[in-house]
Amino acid sequence: MKRMSTDVLVIGGGSTGAGVAWDAALRGLRVILVEKRDLTHGTTGRYHGLLHSGGRYAVKDPQSAIECIEENRILRRTHAHCIEDTGGFFVVTPEDEGDYPDRFKAACAKVGIPCEEIPLKEAFRREPLLNPRISRVFEVPDGSADSFLATHVTAQAARQAGAQILIYHEVIDLLTEGSDGDRRVVGARVCDVVHGEEVRIDAAITVNAGGAWAGKIAAMAGVPVNVIPGKGVMVAVNHRLVNTVINRCKMPADGDILVPVHTVAIIGTTDERVSDPEMLTIEPWEVDLMLREGDKLVPGLSRSRILRAWAGVRPLYQEGYTGESRDATRALALLDHRQRDGVSGFLTITGGKWTTFRLMAEKTVDKVCEQLGVERPCLTATTPVPGAEQGHYWLGHRLHEVEEARLQGDLICECELVTRAMVEQAVANNPTVTLDDLRRDVRLGMGPCQGGFCTFRAAGILHQLRLHAQEAPPQTEVDGGLPWNVAYLQSPRHSVQAKPAALNPKVSPLDNPNLLLRDFLQERWRGLTPVLWGRQLKQERLNELIYLTIMNVDHLPEDGEASPLTEFWRFDAVAGAKEDGR
Amino acid sequence: MAPISWHSVDLTLDECIKCNICTSHCPVSAVTDLFPGPKYVGPQAQRFRESGQPRSPDHSVDYCSGCRVCNEVCPTGVRIAELNARARAQIVAEKGLPLRNRLLGRNELLGKLGSLAPALANFGLHNSFSRLVAEKVMGIARKAPLPTWSTSGTFRDWLKRTRDRRLKSNKKVVYFHGCATMYYEPFIGKAAVVVLEHNGYEVIVPEQNCCGLPLLSNGEFDAARNYHRNNVGRLAGYARAGLPIVGTSTSCTLTLKEEAPELLDYHDEPATTLKLGTYDIFEWLRELYEVGELRTDFQPLPLKLPYHAPCQQRAHRIGKPALELMALIPELELAESHARCCGIAGTYGYKVEKYQIAMDVGAELFEFVKAQGQDVRYTACDSETCRWQLEHGTALPSRHPIEILAAAYGLYDLERREVVAGKR
Amino acid sequence: MIVDLLVIGAGLAGLIAALRAAEAGLRVKLIAKGMGALYWTPGTIDVLGYLGAEARAVERPWERIDDLPERHPYRIVGARRAQEALDWFRACVAELGLDYGGREDGGNAHTPSPAGAWRPSYLLPAGQRAGDVKDGRPMVIVGFQGMRDFYPHLIARNLEAQGQAARAAVLPWSVLSERRDRNSVQLAEALDEPTTQQRLIDALRLVVKPGERIGLPAILGREAHSQVLTALTQALNAAVFEIATLPPSVPGVRLATALRRSLERRGVRVEIGMEAIGFHAQDGMIEFVETATSARPLKHRAKAFLLATGGVLGGGFDSNPSGRFWETIFDLPLTTPQDRRQWFRPLFLDPQGHPALRGGVAVNDAFQPIDAAGNVVYANLWAAGGLLAHADPIAERSLEGIAIVSAVAAVEAIKAGNMVHV
Repeated sequence: MKRMSTDVLVIGGGSTGAGVAWDAALRGLRVILVEKRDLTHGTTGRYHGLLHSGGRYAVKDPQSAIECIEENRILRRTHAHCIEDTGGFFVVTPEDEGDYPDRFKAACAKVGIPCEEIPLKEAFRREPLLNPRISRVFEVPDGSADSFLATHVTAQAARQAGAQILIYHEVIDLLTEGSDGDRRVVGARVCDVVHGEEVRIDAAITVNAGGAWAGKIAAMAGVPVNVIPGKGVMVAVNHRLVNTVINRCKMPADGDILVPVHTVAIIGTTDERVSDPEMLTIEPWEVDLMLREGDKLVPGLSRSRILRAWAGVRPLYQEGYTGESRDATRALALLDHRQRDGVSGFLTITGGKWTTFRLMAEKTVDKVCEQLGVERPCLTATTPVPGAEQGHYWLGHRLHEVEEARLQGDLICECELVTRAMVEQAVANNPTVTLDDLRRDVRLGMGPCQGGFCTFRAAGILHQLRLHAQEAPPQTEVDGGLPWNVAYLQSPRHSVQAKPAALNPKVSPLDNPNLLLRDFLQERWRGLTPVLWGRQLKQERLNELIYLTIMNVDHLPEDGEASPLTEFWRFDAVAGAKEDGR
Repeated sequence: MAPISWHSVDLTLDECIKCNICTSHCPVSAVTDLFPGPKYVGPQAQRFRESGQPRSPDHSVDYCSGCRVCNEVCPTGVRIAELNARARAQIVAEKGLPLRNRLLGRNELLGKLGSLAPALANFGLHNSFSRLVAEKVMGIARKAPLPTWSTSGTFRDWLKRTRDRRLKSNKKVVYFHGCATMYYEPFIGKAAVVVLEHNGYEVIVPEQNCCGLPLLSNGEFDAARNYHRNNVGRLAGYARAGLPIVGTSTSCTLTLKEEAPELLDYHDEPATTLKLGTYDIFEWLRELYEVGELRTDFQPLPLKLPYHAPCQQRAHRIGKPALELMALIPELELAESHARCCGIAGTYGYKVEKYQIAMDVGAELFEFVKAQGQDVRYTACDSETCRWQLEHGTALPSRHPIEILAAAYGLYDLERREVVAGKR
Repeated sequence: MIVDLLVIGAGLAGLIAALRAAEAGLRVKLIAKGMGALYWTPGTIDVLGYLGAEARAVERPWERIDDLPERHPYRIVGARRAQEALDWFRACVAELGLDYGGREDGGNAHTPSPAGAWRPSYLLPAGQRAGDVKDGRPMVIVGFQGMRDFYPHLIARNLEAQGQAARAAVLPWSVLSERRDRNSVQLAEALDEPTTQQRLIDALRLVVKPGERIGLPAILGREAHSQVLTALTQALNAAVFEIATLPPSVPGVRLATALRRSLERRGVRVEIGMEAIGFHAQDGMIEFVETATSARPLKHRAKAFLLATGGVLGGGFDSNPSGRFWETIFDLPLTTPQDRRQWFRPLFLDPQGHPALRGGVAVNDAFQPIDAAGNVVYANLWAAGGLLAHADPIAERSLEGIAIVSAVAAVEAIKAGNMVHV
């Protein structure tokens, strides 16, 4: 068995885990991060993309609100290019009666959130599709965030500071020493799921940043952590109906927020307590509820083209709490298991929200340092991640760069303007095992046609790259030797200028393009079925024509093989079988 | 199709299924890389545009000629050409407009000015020196087929002059002549008037503005709105009274019916009344024919006539009524063009950077005409700028189908482009 | 101007129906919202490739018709009449310069897909016949550097995995065009030029080995296709075949163009860009269909109407989140489940297809739409093609077969029904 050792082992490649790795590495600690799939595969990659101003929590949860506005200001500097400065409106619809708006305004003032009531005329000029019956509008510094990119660049920053990031490494067991009352977590046994190899990692401190999966991980050390998995359903509309984040000015509830992220607008969310974080089935009523509530913000939203729906699971945590997940606190929770359970060398960080991931990391690493007996200040609040010098994201930037560099002929994903060079750079610069990994890197397949054209193209390109790498393996040593540069993943222009990195033949041993194709088609299908009607169904029928009539991909050779994504479609098939049996 | 509460053309981007049919038919992207095709600049780029962006993200939309072939072939109903026009207006609003485009957008003003001293104006415009200067200074292509001002007075001059001879009748029709007929080609209007009168209709010619299309296609939406408001004010009353408003310029009638209301989001009651009361002249004559009220006393017209239905005509989606009615003329041998576009696309081909593109686009049509043989004397086309382009590309004179019809009625001299003396 | 037959839809079914009717002397007009589905399909005539959950492809389609659902269009028509329709189609397009043919043994040919699977087709255009995997000779799949819709290594890999000897070769893009941003149709237009053809021949000479069949993306000329094919075959002394790839698909475009021109030569008005938005019926007879124009709806009067708008993809059906699925012009009864939860199976590639996409317009033996009780909805309305119920032309690989067979059958029924004067 391969054996590694480190000061800090971080479990979980979401925003929090990447943040912890970054923070700890900046403080000079040796860090290994393990993630069972791709970075942001869990909840971080399945949220609506809101950079909170804190307004949402100002009335209900002032502590969370203060954390949000402070972190909002910090992330705008450190992760500038992962954020679009959309601004946000809190709007009062005819259904939002009562004194909440005035309490909201007062609460914002109290916790220090800039909040200004703006004339309706001005609001409708900026957002002409808003419900004309809206009676008051407050403006706050909300934004939208690319959580895929932010987490990838945070991981890159961690790596540059010396951390090792191991994706597709799943924790099989936590290693403990000692007996009850004086137990200690000393690391973990992990499985490299791509190569099927086990690795033992010895660690002075293990940080459980497993998000919705944190309870399962803690259980491996015999520690009960009652994470409340709150499922949230989100629905994306084909284009940006609004360019400002729109919040209902009322106590947080289902379907009360509309976020413009990249080329889409996302309406969210529900909050449903579920038993299993893997259980992400979307029911028709949940989609219908989102559309109905969306119509209250932008009338007609329900009739526009719906792109896709998905669900994420919030890792809510409240000690001893058994109620509804909507009412559980959004505050972060750092559990010191030495204090709490008598198990030392083990911390769990959970709760919170994307906007506060850096703060969560800071508090966690403070505790790590305390337990390791070192005194080093946190640097993340003042250290920009790679690429931040590009400034804030703006909607037109890809189109602008494609136009300037005249890259129209090289577009692979035409909906989201992903060029061939972007695909090649993304594959070369960080491990890519499935096309879904590539989607998170460059937004491949995230537009209206949902992979109709680009799935085939990407599979073809990856296959060619793999062949090339096998014929001429790179000279450099594998681990750490290859560049990990994801700071410019979103930039078509940069991809052209950058020297293409050599592909590491060992990082991505999945050589079966047919599985890449099939798994990605199925992955897209999962998010489509809840919203397939009208125009999106027409699109899907064209995709069927492409993949059945033209490609015949349901009759490719080697159909029986599995990839790390296959579990999802197996899961779908099983869920469907259950449904059929009912 | 489920109704959409938002009437803006922008929302039709949602209809796109990325199938590439438009790009495969686009006559402009077929000949130049400067235009990446309708799907790309239309529904695709639209998802990356918003008002108030730090800068306009794209510029290649400026190379859309607005010919609307994409709309015609799109199987899902994306209003691509209109999306492009609106995107261009956004760029103009942000970046301003060169003098050249301002000038080309104002053909009514140009028409009026030139008509003050048409001979002088023609000389001033059409000598090679001033064309060279116009190209160098303003970017108006030296070889582009600019029109000549009428030296025999405007269309309205003729109406005044022949007031006593005009038919009075209780059957009335309103005529929208457009700027080209008014200042450059009054004979088109004369042919229309005699055809309508021949069928027993009194022709009313109210005061009217430029329809605003040149402004719309150059992205000057505010100015276009003023023009349209004036026309609605002057013409909607006739439509409300049940009088048809017919036009010989397919682009003017298209603008009154659809382009101005849609692009400008101008949908009040008078504008809609005007829209519903406006006809292409052949569209209306076909309705007469279908109820048996069109006179068919045509004389034989032994001609071989290649006919090109211009893009602006096809954008009406009314079929080809001119072709159907000309087919009634004895001995007239029609050859229908299936060329996509003549290239000129309004004022597109006048611009120095687009002149060659326009000529390359038109090659398909020019070759079609050439293939009809040596004995072709005229071509026919409903749109003025397309006729000028056709003449420029084929060296053959081009006629409006209404001139053909007038000639077949024996009311019009096709060669000299004059109403036959003694006839009304 | 009243016509005998108004055909709605410009896909293969609409074009074939119009041609068959015009050939029989009917006055025909064809209207369509836009260009039809032939622009997307590989130009082959697929009759029946797969039957439900059977993993193996269908060998001889006509022998398996009885295994289809009872009211499947093929079973309504019967194998003999269906084959006659296809024979007529072959003869028709042969006159238009398109040489379609099948295997002599009456079985499906197997030609490589752009993913390297083989596609079961009944008739192939001349340009694809040399690609039949059953032939066994080795192949070289030739692509072009940077062509986004064609990956020769992927095709060769999968062909090899299925026992077909194949290797990949890549030529520089500059062989085809100096312009970077070109789709298949535009590249085919470039190959109409003799100089481009010569460049391609010269480049192919350097990579092709003796005895190999040459597989290329389907870009071998748009107007000059047969000449390009002959030139390549002769110059290289090798069998050459095309692999149709992502839309727009050139072999489909060639077929659509030829059929449309043939119609126009026969005096059939083909009006593209006309979206049917309404109709008027009296006493169970349709009087006219209305299309959208720049202002008022335009009426199209006819004695008989043939609906060939395709299913979901062609725009013939629409659906909404309430679970309603409807036919867009006449609101004809559909067999589709009116409950969203029953529309799809969990796996995209489920061999059974999806219930929402198997539903459609049920017809009687004369291809007239009927309601659930079996009554004809309108006495002068017929239907053909992708909108027919009890078939999923994409899952079955029966798209073109159903289009041709049902269009011919519907026109025969119209003629037989004395609805129009012949």
